[in-house]
Amino acid sequence: MDEARRPAVLLADDDVAITAQLGPLLERSGFDVRIVHDGAAALAAGSAEPIPDLIVLDVLMPLLDGREVLRRIRRSGAWIPVILLTQVGESTERAMALEEGADDYLNKPFDPYELVARMRALLRRSGRGLPPLAGARVVRAGTLRVDRTARRAWLGDRELTLTPKAGALLDYLVTHPDELLSRERLMEVLWGWESASTTRAVDNRVAELRRVLGDDSGAPRWIETVTGEGYRFVPRVEAAE
Amino acid sequence: MSRRRRIGLTAAVVAAFVAALVAAAVFGDDRRVYVRFAPVLGVLVLGLLAAGAVVVVIDVRERITRAAERARAEAAAEHHRFLRRLDHELKNPLTAMRLGLANLAAGGADSDPDGPLAGVGEQVARLARITGDLRKLADIESRPLERVAVDVAVLLDAAGETGRDLPGGADRRISVSVPRVPWPLPTLAGDPDLLELALENLVGNAVKYSDPGCAIELRAFAEDGYVVVEVADTGRGIRADELPTVWEELVRGSDARGTPGSGLGLALVQAVVHRHGGRTELRSMPESGTVVRLRLPTS
Repeated sequence: MDEARRPAVLLADDDVAITAQLGPLLERSGFDVRIVHDGAAALAAGSAEPIPDLIVLDVLMPLLDGREVLRRIRRSGAWIPVILLTQVGESTERAMALEEGADDYLNKPFDPYELVARMRALLRRSGRGLPPLAGARVVRAGTLRVDRTARRAWLGDRELTLTPKAGALLDYLVTHPDELLSRERLMEVLWGWESASTTRAVDNRVAELRRVLGDDSGAPRWIETVTGEGYRFVPRVEAAE
Repeated sequence: MSRRRRIGLTAAVVAAFVAALVAAAVFGDDRRVYVRFAPVLGVLVLGLLAAGAVVVVIDVRERITRAAERARAEAAAEHHRFLRRLDHELKNPLTAMRLGLANLAAGGADSDPDGPLAGVGEQVARLARITGDLRKLADIESRPLERVAVDVAVLLDAAGETGRDLPGGADRRISVSVPRVPWPLPTLAGDPDLLELALENLVGNAVKYSDPGCAIELRAFAEDGYVVVEVADTGRGIRADELPTVWEELVRGSDARGTPGSGLGLALVQAVVHRHGGRTELRSMPESGTVVRLRLPTS
């Protein structure tokens, strides 16, 4: 993040009870926050100078809903990082979530500091001038190629056989490389909920991915375990299409 | 099926017509032959009528079953919409409360772990758990089920581990027993994460509603195309008058008030088992213990 300048964040949510609390919290976390309360205002503020560095967008809003705002921003060719406040690919196909082009999702009621962590991770990526991965149909990480629309993956010439949830996990990992992803976060990505007692479901899917990728958890080339915290997708990922 | 009825009746009429033609061609107008065969013809006609009646009865029965299924599906869909609406209406206020609490804490207000702010924080977390469980329930009832080969022995071992890690779990005698010889348990075609969620809930209940030193047994066996999974404990048990409602949402036993929980655990278990085409049973005696039994089809 640029030390000299506070990143400009556009926060769009029609619920004043939320913006009144989230605004100051984000300001305190080092962001310059602008708040709007409907979709039309979000679209206007998202496309006008000075263009925000990041948009936090609620889905249900008057005038235009968050998804429509995001679609229009993307159609204009702008790749401002966007966090959508909803469940990952909720009630829609994952392919549609990809179509939408949100860089990340967070479901209400979220942990405020998880939102801040997600925002910082996105800004780190865009700050380094790295192209966004959220809208890429195909991504490549070394010999691994993931066709996100077809939900298929290849390692070299060999197509990988994955259970649907391992596929969903791989999709999230390759679009969030080099980020520390907590088990709870991945649980929410896979299931749309956090589990009170265990996140073993995540560990099982990571084990499955490591098996098909031929990864060694002792010396990981693909998925690194961050002890007591979660996982990190190690290789550099590029948008291929 | 009305199509079946049409086909049945058409076939009967055609058969009778063909039989009449054949009879007329073979016997011509020799009346004595018809008189001699009259009883046989009578039986044939009665048989055809009986077959027609059976077809009609089957058809009506199927219609009734289909109507009942439609009504059940509609009720389930309405319930699902209700859970979604409830989740939706609760999540904004909960988000605002969580944010407000974070702001208060950052402002240095009342850091006493027994103080009012911590108390409110705990209650907000509790509400979030209830809405989270409501969302899970709606989700389990509707999301496409992943079907992979599931080894119940592995799931029970994992559930046993989870139980030992729970608060107070180390003080319970938790054991897992699964047949390994001569025939190991058949695998299930199911969603391992959901089945694990169900078992975790049952083990969690067994730990919560028992006292240190109590025994908890996780066991499974095969029976007539089913894998039967049982979670048994020597805990507090459930009063007989409360047994009929234990599987309902947000129902909590009168003795459970002092124990944290959302009242949705058993409803979640049942939703998972139903999605797998299985059945649930619960037997319990106060001050003696509880056995929850899940019957899950193997194919």
